[in-house]
Amino acid sequence: MRHHALRVFVSSATLLALVILGLAFGKITDLPTLLALCLLMLIGGLLRFSVASNYLASLDSVALMAVYVIAGPWAAVIATAVAYLPQVRRRLPLIRRVFNGAQRILATAAGGVAYALAGGPVGDGALSHEARAVFGAMAATLAQHVTNAALVSLVIWIDGKSSPVEFLRQVVLPTFFPMAGYSFLGLLLAVVWLGGLGALAGLLVLVPLLFARWALSQYEVERTAQAATMRAFIQVIETKDLYTRGHSERVSEGVGMLGRQLRLSDDRQSALEHAGLLHDVGKVGVPTSIIRKPGRLDDTEMDAIRLHPARGVELIGNIPFLEEVKSAVLHHHEKYDGSGYPAGLSGESIPYFARIIGIVDAFDCLTSTRSYRPARSVEETLAILKQDKYTHFDPLLVDAFVDVIERNGWKSSVAELPEPDATVEATIDHDDLSLGSSGGASGSAAGPV
Amino acid sequence: MAWESPEGPEVSNRLGSGIVIVIAGLGLGLAALLITARHGVTEWPFVAAFGLLIAIGEMVQFKVDRSRNRAPIATSAALGYAMLRGPSLEVAPDIAQVIAVTSVATMIGMCPRAIAGLRWDIVVSNRRVLSVACAAVVFSAVVPRDLGWNGSWRHAIPLVGAMLLGVLTAGLVDALVGAGQATELFNKPFPASLRDELLVMGRIGMAMGLSGVLLAAGTSLLGLWAPPLVIVPLLLTQFAFRRFASAQRTYRTTVRSMARSTEIAGFSSPGQNARTASLAVAIGNDLGLTPARMEALEYAALLSGVGQLALADPSPGGASLLRTREERQRAAEIGASVIERSGVLDRVAEIVRHSNDPYRQGRASNSAIPLESGIVNVALAYEQLVGEGTGQSPDKALESIGLGIGAEYDPVVVESLRRVVGRGFRF
Repeated sequence: MRHHALRVFVSSATLLALVILGLAFGKITDLPTLLALCLLMLIGGLLRFSVASNYLASLDSVALMAVYVIAGPWAAVIATAVAYLPQVRRRLPLIRRVFNGAQRILATAAGGVAYALAGGPVGDGALSHEARAVFGAMAATLAQHVTNAALVSLVIWIDGKSSPVEFLRQVVLPTFFPMAGYSFLGLLLAVVWLGGLGALAGLLVLVPLLFARWALSQYEVERTAQAATMRAFIQVIETKDLYTRGHSERVSEGVGMLGRQLRLSDDRQSALEHAGLLHDVGKVGVPTSIIRKPGRLDDTEMDAIRLHPARGVELIGNIPFLEEVKSAVLHHHEKYDGSGYPAGLSGESIPYFARIIGIVDAFDCLTSTRSYRPARSVEETLAILKQDKYTHFDPLLVDAFVDVIERNGWKSSVAELPEPDATVEATIDHDDLSLGSSGGASGSAAGPV
Repeated sequence: MAWESPEGPEVSNRLGSGIVIVIAGLGLGLAALLITARHGVTEWPFVAAFGLLIAIGEMVQFKVDRSRNRAPIATSAALGYAMLRGPSLEVAPDIAQVIAVTSVATMIGMCPRAIAGLRWDIVVSNRRVLSVACAAVVFSAVVPRDLGWNGSWRHAIPLVGAMLLGVLTAGLVDALVGAGQATELFNKPFPASLRDELLVMGRIGMAMGLSGVLLAAGTSLLGLWAPPLVIVPLLLTQFAFRRFASAQRTYRTTVRSMARSTEIAGFSSPGQNARTASLAVAIGNDLGLTPARMEALEYAALLSGVGQLALADPSPGGASLLRTREERQRAAEIGASVIERSGVLDRVAEIVRHSNDPYRQGRASNSAIPLESGIVNVALAYEQLVGEGTGQSPDKALESIGLGIGAEYDPVVVESLRRVVGRGFRF
């Protein structure tokens, strides 16, 4: 039923688009200009780049507005159709490819109608009727964007697989203002074109945008480099103890899962993942002999271990992270009832990120092998977390974390770690120590920490 | 992006030629203001609009690299104003008015930053006044004052050609001044500084210049409707380069912080890595390395000891365990493989790998070993001799390093070290 409705909808949209396209071919007057504009649209369409985090802006919205102004709406329809050809994504199913093409033509046509209705001048008239050109451009952008959004929402709604509201919220709203900005730039391109510069105007507009695009891509490169470098360092630090290998990266992944569940903003999400990765970085300041020491640690040695959060902050203090990253590293061993270290904070006064990391930290520790015990199963560990949730952890966050793990599962560390070593009596990991009641290091071994 | 010394604040306190630039810029601005005041201001609305744009651009300037501030919106707006013509303007602004508007608007834009305690740099802002003045002079020398846009390519092409010439002049002047400053501050050979400056000019400079041309052409044709229409490339350039600069800064601090882990672990004394790196950077500048190589060199110097982390605990005194060459080379090898693991610092890893190779068995016979390894080797040795606590005098240290020329140390690097120390380099 749905499938049928979808086909009817897409075919009628396509039919309408083809009719409009056919009419447009009948209205061609100035072929050389049209060809130059099609070339501009093609180039614009190939130069896509991401603005903000997940929005792909393609420069064809710049070119499209220029076509409206220079050669009129009918030419814009043809140029849109031409520019779509190299953008067809072969991996998409046929019906979507057809729909995407039809949808673009219809949106362009709607923009053209709006441009004409608003009295937008075509050709040299734009130089003498600036105000009408600007209002025409606004009207065209609005009509084009609304038509595009309406058609895509409709097809999403008929298809029934995802929510059109989500689409409106995540794609349409955030893209409106950048799109309007690009359209204005297109108007300016048209004016300089008509002002005598012709196709050279395209270069004036595109080249600065290309440099901006280059800078944006360099930004990504730097970010990736930073993440890779931090991971490499964490791996070196973890070589101090075979049993904690990969721990920081798993914690980073785990807090990432929990962060998405809590719907953090993009900035805070990546800050949280950084904090998860770096939470134990201060262990580099704890002598390896203590970290690897078999048996019980005496008070001095415990003090050395308790210093690691402060050491971590000392190390990362200069990196311009959000403040939350530093407070999370400092307080990730605090407990909800106030019995943790270094400050003995309790309840909500423990920083939010620190509470999140505390949970995932303990979870990964329990599901990993230690020299004195094998790894626990995920179910068993979740039970332990639930049991401890009023003493050690933020109960609400524990519930959220249990939800996430039950839904998405957990990539356990067991495969990549050494077996427990029967000859070792008890090396107690500092993360195990944070779990009193039913952790492996219960009772006397753990002591009041 | 030209490399500059790690101590940003120190740099901005040392003015030197900066004073000349500031006096020249302010003097020019004042003279232009007086001339304009006598002749009267033409086309007030354009003065106000472009002045506002310049001031706002100056206000939202950001830091690129260590000590260079950038304000792409202000630069584009000032260049755009310098090249306005009819039909929108009956009287194109003359050179004095262009300079006066740029200068006054720049000062106005700087005030809020100074009051709010943000970073501001009067030298960089005055460099812009000077280069915009040059662009204005070239543009009006090439184009008659009554030549305006009329919709025909016969006017448009010469106009845009002259604009590009003007923008190019501005870029070259700024590159020359910038290179002179880099040479003065970091003792980098002038040709190398100029090459670095021109590289920057080819990227952000090109974007700023072409946006200026677009702004001028659009405003000449459309009047004051045009500036809001150019908002996208202006903001995008600002946003993109600003984000890039901040990511770059974050990355550099990350590497520096990570390098300090050897100090926290007790393998090296506090500040040792930073001292070694500052000397390596000074030598690299003296030898005129490219910015990319400078960056790798600084990272390598900072990270040269990181291999020790994977070895056993340091001795209780905190002194380095690695007394023999074999031990040091092994640590360097481990360090290199650690750095390689990041996947993005291969050149750094290569430098670290050979940073303890003696010159004769290393670079003298194998040209694949980078010069930077030799620099790090010498910087490490000099720091060990002079660095905090060990306290040899620079002369004595130079003498003992001199004994190892050709066998232990690369002669080119030792010569450079002599120059650097001779100019008064101290940790």
